Amino acid sequence: MIDLETLRSAGSGQAHGDGPERLGLLASALAGRPLEVAAGSPGERAWTDGRTVFVDADSGAPDRLRAVAVQASLLAAGSLERDVVRKLTRRPTLARRYLAVEGHRALAAIEDVLPPVVRSLIDAEAVARADSPGASLDAALSRAAIADPPESFGTIRARDLLASVANAEVSPTARGQAPRERRREVLAEIADDLTIADPFSISVGGGGALGRLLARALQLVRQLRGGGPPGADAPTHRTRTGAGGGVLATGIAGALEDTSVERRDARYPEWDAHRRRYRPDWCTVREVEPRLTDHVLLPAPPAHGLRRPLGRLGTGLDRCNRQIQGADIDVDAVVEARVAAMAGSTPDEAVYLDVRRRRRDLSVLLLLDVSGSAAERSAAGETVHAHQRAAAAALTTALHDLGDRVALYAYRSHGRSDVQLMPVKLFDDGMDVVVLRRLDGLAPAAYSRLGAAIRHGAAVLERRGRTSRRLLVVLSDGLAYDHGYELAYGAADARRALAEARRRGTGCVCLTVGAGTDPETLRRVFGSAAHATAPRTEQLAQVIGPLFRAALRSAEVPRRRIARR
Amino acid sequence: MFQAAFRQGLSVVLKGPTGCGKTRFVEAMAHDLDRPLVTVACHDDLTTADLVGRFLLRGGETEWVDGPLTRAVREGAICYLDEVVEARQDTTVVLHPLADHRRQLPIERLGVTLDAAPGFCLVVSYNPGYQSVLKDLKDSTRQRMVAIELGFPPADVEEKIVAHEAGIDGGTAAELVRLGQAIRRLETTGLREVASTRVLIAAARLVAEGLSPREAARAAVVGPLTDDATVTSGLLEMIRVYLTDPAG
Repeated sequence: MIDLETLRSAGSGQAHGDGPERLGLLASALAGRPLEVAAGSPGERAWTDGRTVFVDADSGAPDRLRAVAVQASLLAAGSLERDVVRKLTRRPTLARRYLAVEGHRALAAIEDVLPPVVRSLIDAEAVARADSPGASLDAALSRAAIADPPESFGTIRARDLLASVANAEVSPTARGQAPRERRREVLAEIADDLTIADPFSISVGGGGALGRLLARALQLVRQLRGGGPPGADAPTHRTRTGAGGGVLATGIAGALEDTSVERRDARYPEWDAHRRRYRPDWCTVREVEPRLTDHVLLPAPPAHGLRRPLGRLGTGLDRCNRQIQGADIDVDAVVEARVAAMAGSTPDEAVYLDVRRRRRDLSVLLLLDVSGSAAERSAAGETVHAHQRAAAAALTTALHDLGDRVALYAYRSHGRSDVQLMPVKLFDDGMDVVVLRRLDGLAPAAYSRLGAAIRHGAAVLERRGRTSRRLLVVLSDGLAYDHGYELAYGAADARRALAEARRRGTGCVCLTVGAGTDPETLRRVFGSAAHATAPRTEQLAQVIGPLFRAALRSAEVPRRRIARR
Repeated sequence: MFQAAFRQGLSVVLKGPTGCGKTRFVEAMAHDLDRPLVTVACHDDLTTADLVGRFLLRGGETEWVDGPLTRAVREGAICYLDEVVEARQDTTVVLHPLADHRRQLPIERLGVTLDAAPGFCLVVSYNPGYQSVLKDLKDSTRQRMVAIELGFPPADVEEKIVAHEAGIDGGTAAELVRLGQAIRRLETTGLREVASTRVLIAAARLVAEGLSPREAARAAVVGPLTDDATVTSGLLEMIRVYLTDPAG
């Protein structure tokens, strides 16, 4: 029998030990917003800056709990909103009197969900004094006698509260809090800034017009798969539950070190455009374990817009003859069965015709550029990294929910001997909080040797994808450079790597989100691979369907060639 | 509301989070209105034939067998499609003629159109939490229906439900409900699922079998809700705070 104490000490291997941090979830529940709990200076009263509650680590568990509960209640009840707190700066006595009244009101407001040991704090008399933060403030300003707030009420640090609120308004991660109007006018700014007239440039790879003709011709001659046992080839379509769509303002990620747990050392050639030949074994790629962010609760990726376009990818209807069960009767099979019966042998039971939606047997590997150039900020104040990360999360979630095999790797490099690929999600991983935490823990740094990343990504996809159709998606600002990897040279190598992958039957798509790179540069780097650029993730939904389809089709030409041989 | 819709021959869509009692509600309504109930659990592989019916080969003869929807239409029963958004759109489209004023079910394969017998009522349910991801219930389908929103019951009602369903005392039920209410406040912060009434009842039933409230909650509430270690430890802390074990 496992008891809670054992579980708790087992869990303390992580960043959260037996300390006050474990009250984070409870604090968030009471406050109705994401909140963390941390140890403040010993001997000091509890306080909050709206994002973290700081409690005396030396205090006993029940006192800690009460202090956290009070601070969380204050946040839930609106006691610490800007307009009120502004009036409390530099007036500690007023702040104390306000807290003495407002604390009780805030607790009473959520009495139904307070833990029993906290409810006892509520003083009904004090509650009757005020029915809103404004009324509490009035009471505090009046000359009425108000007793000091109890120890468990902690204190209000007005300046820290205001400072953190100000940060939240500027911080790029406070997405959901930016008013709509601001976002709209900012979008207009970006649209003007970009020199691209049509932000969505799609060029389908594989020989231009001839390739298109070939692709169309092959579509007409598509072979229908014969009736096999039901569901043999098609992976099961799973529908995962969706998130409620919450938005969080996350804090700042910590320091930059990766825990370099070496998984694999792989060597790849590089294309030397100047000498027009390959440099064998030129680059060393290491898979490096990404660090997890400290935050536990993270925003749900904006995946819903992408599900529809991605969901329609290549799902055809298969008519399967001679099934054990099905919507219609397969006349041929029935006739044969009758004949068999009349001839005296046992008729076959499989006499039905089933029309099944063919699942598209697709695996996708996303490469996310986390080199230093992603730290650039757009006009809106958000970094390219934030945009790309959101796009990666949205795509991975949508594809995973649709039942495809999807993996996500982040990449950066320090020269040709140190190209790092960080597995954020492996093919067999579920799409859960750990993946989001790895994603959130990434920070842009160093350079981007795109060619090596593409070659490794394609190799992983071929080795571990295990499906007949493969798609490599590169999320990058299109600026690939490193030591000995200048722009033109690097662009040529990246183009070559993409072409190699396509020749081996992997479709390639390149997406640029939130970066101002001009289409000429993108075309040089991505070559004839299908690519698109958009200012925000949400706009990808419009192009993602045709883009992926085009990429898959252009990869199918070589695939069929190989298959026919 | 349900009875009004029923009497007017309108279709009903029940919206609510999982485990809040939608199925129970339909069962109760069917009982009160004295109509038989046909329930279909919808999923992605559900075909039109699964709902309407198909030809089967029996002893060398082809025989038409009604599907659950057709049965309900013929008998004038209430047909309840649970989690209707899980079904494909080309399947749900068969509901349109039934859901609007025509109240007819065309059966292509037989070449007939059935008029719904009196007492037939189409009820579908879905979870709007999932809905925000899928958005797949076609507007044309939605607009043919009357919507009833169900949520988790208020605390005092939920306490009675939990105590009654599991056969435990009101005090423990109150503690469990309070825990559930607190967990539900986490919905906006990104916890994908919250504690439903059903989950609280499950925990209560474990208590009735002799487990301590904390153990019961760990098994029935935390386990199903998350696999993440840090979220788990946070929830365990909440359990420790809200629930008291008999020993201390």
